[in-house]
Amino acid sequence: MSEAIAIEPLPLAIPRRVLRLLPGVALLVALGYAGKLAEQLLRDYGKAHHLALPQIEYVLWAIVFGLIVANTVGVPQIFKPGIATYDFWLKAGIVLLGARFLLGDVLKLGRISLLLVGIELVVAIAIMTVIGRWFRLKPKLTSLLAIGSSICGVSAIIAAKGAIEADDDDATFAIAAILALGAFGLFAYPAIGHLLHMSDRSFGLWAGLAVDNTAEAAAAGAIFSDAAGKVAVLTKSTRNAMIGFVVLAYALYWASRGQAHEVKSKAAFVWQKFPKFVLGFLFVSALATAGAFQPQQMASLANLSRWAFLLTFAGVGLKTDFRELKRQGLRPFVVGALAELSITVVTLVLVLAASAVFDL
Amino acid sequence: MSNRSRISHDWWAVIAALAAVVLVKAGILPNIPW
Repeated sequence: MSEAIAIEPLPLAIPRRVLRLLPGVALLVALGYAGKLAEQLLRDYGKAHHLALPQIEYVLWAIVFGLIVANTVGVPQIFKPGIATYDFWLKAGIVLLGARFLLGDVLKLGRISLLLVGIELVVAIAIMTVIGRWFRLKPKLTSLLAIGSSICGVSAIIAAKGAIEADDDDATFAIAAILALGAFGLFAYPAIGHLLHMSDRSFGLWAGLAVDNTAEAAAAGAIFSDAAGKVAVLTKSTRNAMIGFVVLAYALYWASRGQAHEVKSKAAFVWQKFPKFVLGFLFVSALATAGAFQPQQMASLANLSRWAFLLTFAGVGLKTDFRELKRQGLRPFVVGALAELSITVVTLVLVLAASAVFDL
Repeated sequence: MSNRSRISHDWWAVIAALAAVVLVKAGILPNIPW
């Protein structure tokens, strides 16, 4: 799951809360739209001058524009509440993306995703546990890093922090590692995918399995191609759906050692952690499968989903502050990089094997 | 962030997306360009 920055539950009236969001949302729209224009302008320029310019997707432009703003002039406080809504746009975009999937495709891809996600979870947790022991990290910090790298990045770490009663410092350390590697993966994965001539489905599966935050996974997929972006979101959502079970397992483990509070109802715990937007995605997909939408309406919903993702991608760039990551020191990068590199290689092998078996 | 706010954030996104689906289906948003 992506970094879930909450809109703080301030005791403000709803109109005032909405007003607080406007500057940041306007910035997301402006940067996202600038990214879309940049893609068009470059393509038109290439055509007009008969130049074979590289096709740079709006996704990459929107992220780069966001990165430039965040890491040069910085983001003034007035924009921050609205920028934090990028996570909201991501989830709304995923629900709307359901209109582009028939349930049959979801089930087919979902089955393959579920199988690979199961293997990825076990491998990622094992790798992170071994590396944590090598570097003599605190056991709860190792747990947080294992949860973050196996499921869904920052929000999984935040969900697990309360459940296993980890320190704030451990959570900050784990989040810094996941964020730094997410930023790197955004650019590295599509390049590797093209180098290996991966198909859209294979690359989407790989991005969904290996990239930790949902927004970065969606972006890495979309940078590769539109179709890969769809598959990346589906695979990452399957991974996100596992959050409750993995966090529950860790909570039970630490409770059994007397270092976390008891879990009263396991079913309620899993439901509380379950990402509800997955249900919304399945519902819209079921409507599309049942023929509830005419072709024009399907196109409109698909376009709405693209607009929502456009705002998300601008937010991904704006929230990545390299100075903040640098302040966290080198250790999170080294520990995280070693683990992520291992997970990257393992998931790549898994996907290439699955592509051969399932003819993806 | 608390789990409580994460859940409500999830639900708000679902509600907003489903509201958009209803508007498109009802023809109130007839043609969303890209």
